Amino acid sequence: MKSSLLLACVFAVPGIVLASDHGPVFSYATPVNSQRELSFDTGLFGRGGSHGTQLSSGSSFGYGLTPHLTVNAFLPASFGSGALPESRMISGSEWSAGASWRFLHSVTTVGKRIESTASLGVVVPGPQADSGVLAGLHRAPGVAGSIATGLASRSQYLWAGVGYTRFAEATNDRRPGTLSWSGVYGYRPAKLRRGYDQWDYRGFAELTGEHTGDVQKQAALVPNSSTTTLWLGPSILAIHKNIAISGGVQAPVFRDASDALYGREHLRFAINFSYLKYSAHTNSH
Amino acid sequence: MKKIVIASLLALTPLAARAEYQQVNLTVFGMDCAPCAHAIHVSMKGIQGVDKVDVDLNTGLVTIRLSQDNTASMRQFNEDVEKNGFTHKDADLVVRGKLTGTAAAPILEVSGTQDRYALSPSVTSIDLASLLGKTVTVTGVLPQSPKGKVSDTLRYKTVAVVR
Repeated sequence: MKSSLLLACVFAVPGIVLASDHGPVFSYATPVNSQRELSFDTGLFGRGGSHGTQLSSGSSFGYGLTPHLTVNAFLPASFGSGALPESRMISGSEWSAGASWRFLHSVTTVGKRIESTASLGVVVPGPQADSGVLAGLHRAPGVAGSIATGLASRSQYLWAGVGYTRFAEATNDRRPGTLSWSGVYGYRPAKLRRGYDQWDYRGFAELTGEHTGDVQKQAALVPNSSTTTLWLGPSILAIHKNIAISGGVQAPVFRDASDALYGREHLRFAINFSYLKYSAHTNSH
Repeated sequence: MKKIVIASLLALTPLAARAEYQQVNLTVFGMDCAPCAHAIHVSMKGIQGVDKVDVDLNTGLVTIRLSQDNTASMRQFNEDVEKNGFTHKDADLVVRGKLTGTAAAPILEVSGTQDRYALSPSVTSIDLASLLGKTVTVTGVLPQSPKGKVSDTLRYKTVAVVR
């Protein structure tokens, strides 16, 4: 377990649609990289249930091609053998690459902006085997898309997002398609609205939900393998200049999943570390 | 002869270097957090001649102080704001330049750059006729411009001859 955790910290988390470096740790959000900004995220996600624990980790790289278009890649690693439902809010063992486009960017006043970001990417099974009902499935690549919209300001943050992932069929097997959604509210107390050379803290309340379709095995749908869950919990983001650390926990507030197949998942947590490398290019004029 | 040429060059150099931006106080909209401010700080420091940058997140004010003999242009400051995904608003300037044009339509030329501004009074009009052809220090406001553009009018508050 110790070595797994150590390894997990070397690799780590967020998927292409999640903006951990500037925002919440579980939910969809709108921030993208500045032009020529390179971001690196690494962290650890955990899921615990009556049928076991699963830790997943990975490293995410992002690069801002333009002020509103970021390309990114996610290299995962997962540990443990929890029999848990498919999840796109918590990273699994899939490699992914894609792009995020902030197509709406409305700046209304000092420190405030309203924006919307769409993400599209490909998801490719990694070398690690899945566990539980997903174990032994022939795996094929998939496509993941999401859209998030919301407000960022010096005092408050509000984002809502929805995403969908669909996998191709492989030898009559298919991983379930997953519809994910999230809503997040963030607040930075007045005392913490400080200079940029000091630590910047904000807290979030994150509500996430997922509906996974039925698992297809040997051309037949596995009975009762579809799930719907809703999760709620707090998270904290701390940023100092170009370094960010975030962490959060969630507990289920609604759960419609087969106990026989998945047990009772009762906890999700995430810890994420981000490094942002900004461009100091010298312009000619 | 050689000494005369060198002396002439030395004499001319300070005159040519006098025209420059000395301080730019740029209001930036959209920065909500520390990385936003840090990104602006790093970008502005990357502009040749920028000596010091302060960013106040609560007012959105980016204060840029420049060293002597810089050739930084206003377009560079605006571009760096845009590349970081923010919006530039009005800028308070302290800039040296050569006053050209006419008394009715004075122009400030910031040599070393391609920046030229039509001067209009911010509040009280000053008779600039006697200053035409001279190098002056102007304080004033450069109004917000559309993305990728720099305003061509500088609303001056003070104009003083550089001695």
